[in-house]
Amino acid sequence: MKTNSLAFRLFVTAAAWVLVVLPIAGWIIFSRYRYEAVTTFDTRISFFLTVVISDADEHSESGPTPPNNWGEGLFEITHSGWYWQIKPLDGRPGPTLRSRSLSGDGLPLPSEHKIEPNDKEVRWGNFVGPGDQRVRIAEQVYVFGEGKSAQRYSVAVAGRLSEVEENLAAFRSQLIQALALAGIGLLAVTLFQIRFGLFPLSRVEQSLAAIRSGEAAKLDGELPTEIKPLQQELNALLKSNQEIVERARTHVGNLAHALKTPLAVLINEARGDPSPLARKVAEQADTMTTQVNLYLDRARMAARIGVIGRVTEVRPVGESIVRALERIYRDKQITYSLDCPAGTRFQGERQDLEEMLGNLLDNASKWARSRVSLVAAATSGGGPNGASGNWLEIRVDDDGPGLTPEQVAEPIARGRRLDETKPGSGLGHSIVADLAYCYSGKFELTRSEAGGLSARLTLPLAT
Amino acid sequence: MRVLIVEDDRDLNRQLVSALTDAGYAVDAAFDGEEGYFLGDTEPYDVVILDTGLPKMDGIRVLEQWRRSERNMPVIILTARDRWSDKVAGMDAGADDYVAKPFHMQELLARVRAQMRRASGHARSDIECGPLRLDTKTARVTMNGQPIKLTSHEYRLLAYLMHHNERVVSRTELVEHLYEQDFDRDSNTIEVFIGRLRKKIPPDMIKTIRGLGYRLSKEGDEN
Repeated sequence: MKTNSLAFRLFVTAAAWVLVVLPIAGWIIFSRYRYEAVTTFDTRISFFLTVVISDADEHSESGPTPPNNWGEGLFEITHSGWYWQIKPLDGRPGPTLRSRSLSGDGLPLPSEHKIEPNDKEVRWGNFVGPGDQRVRIAEQVYVFGEGKSAQRYSVAVAGRLSEVEENLAAFRSQLIQALALAGIGLLAVTLFQIRFGLFPLSRVEQSLAAIRSGEAAKLDGELPTEIKPLQQELNALLKSNQEIVERARTHVGNLAHALKTPLAVLINEARGDPSPLARKVAEQADTMTTQVNLYLDRARMAARIGVIGRVTEVRPVGESIVRALERIYRDKQITYSLDCPAGTRFQGERQDLEEMLGNLLDNASKWARSRVSLVAAATSGGGPNGASGNWLEIRVDDDGPGLTPEQVAEPIARGRRLDETKPGSGLGHSIVADLAYCYSGKFELTRSEAGGLSARLTLPLAT
Repeated sequence: MRVLIVEDDRDLNRQLVSALTDAGYAVDAAFDGEEGYFLGDTEPYDVVILDTGLPKMDGIRVLEQWRRSERNMPVIILTARDRWSDKVAGMDAGADDYVAKPFHMQELLARVRAQMRRASGHARSDIECGPLRLDTKTARVTMNGQPIKLTSHEYRLLAYLMHHNERVVSRTELVEHLYEQDFDRDSNTIEVFIGRLRKKIPPDMIKTIRGLGYRLSKEGDEN
């Protein structure tokens, strides 16, 4: 999952929510449970305190009698953690009574630690009792005896605190386990929800890649209602893009037809007339022809900018052009060889590849003595200006006279024609260079092994 | 030699007719696809110049239909659409050559000559037969290096015979290839021109093969 993704954002938000809410919920539940547990424990101690007082007060007018009528075995077992104690206050003599479980030890008293009584005159405190056990003690001052023998006693009952603490610890551990499980479950569900929810988007992503690579023409498939408008808009955009390009091409074609026939008439008419006016007309018509050709080429190229997702198989294009050239140059009896593995595909318009291969092969045929070869192959790395990735390398060689070393050394600049003044004559390579540049490709001329010209094109390869 | 021009632009059509007639060809003109198709289908042309953007029937379709009915005369496509896809479509439809508009008339004439030569099996632009030499570029005939003065009809007849030398050419074939469509085919002008030619070149070179036609042979051949 990439950090800059919708899935990551959704997951992090959900995870943060779970991480905050679950501990808070846990804390609330635990607090409530602890309150209940402690209250129950205190109620139990209070109950024993009441029983001890009433039992000790029952038969004696001169002082407390040992309570023994309550049937709670915990007070009988030595160091059980449950104790009671009745002790005279104010330094007065009198019996100090203790439960058997105290085994003669004394209880620490809240009154001795300056703990104030509550509204029921009971003091509460947690202490370390006999046998180093932590105990919770409730103490109440009670007057036993009547008349002169009336005397204040401290009556205390202790309960084993670890009983509550163990209970709370067990509950806390179970609560944490349950909440952790719930948290993991929630995160898993969230993850599934995100994957399931965003699955149509990843399908859109794949479809877009297919469009870009030319395997699909539009965004297909049944998509959820939320992204259906996006699909419709995108398809409309692709269609409109295609239509604009087609329209521009048609206009360019029509313009070519509309201008070139009258130009042909003008040129032919003027050339048949020796007058100065006719000469001028012929000269200007020739200039117009050059300009028309130049700007028609440019317009065609401009119409291609922004066209996406076109893939062209190289071999059929090469074959059809060679077939045409074999007819045009049949008198020269040129042997054409075509070396291009099936499945080698150019990432771009068929018409552009036709234009590039057509110009290169036509030029090679014009100059070749007997042989013209076309080699096309995929290469990895070594693209134009050191660009990496997969490229298509096309080489057209002939065994003609080739270029002079100066011409080879001269770079073919974009938009500049080697044959600027004569349309249809000269090398016709600048259109190839312009097109290659449009595709971020490369075009260069070298001397071929056969002695003639070798034209090399590097173009994007469709994978 | 007979040429058909199928071009809807009247001015260009007129210019082509004029230039080809001046070059010594018998020229028929059509201004739309249907008319062009009909003429090409019924008349024996040596070369056809066919525009691709034609009214009524597209030039490429005209060409395809000719080829389907085995009309195999050389066809030069003339078009303003000069992309390679258009060229390939034209050549695949059965064209023999391709000229993009605007063109120089001389270039078109050279292409027409090349197609004529190719069709009659000659590789060079000049054709020789005994002492006679036909320069198709300049439309001139020389005998032993000396130019012969010929009228346009005489030139057409001799040029056709030289293109097909050593072959018997019937009178009908000559009429069909040397005259425009509306020529009166029953007239005896062929005989008249053969007679005139025999006075300008060694008379034995054009032999009359009774019941079959004429044959141009190198001087001194038997039969």
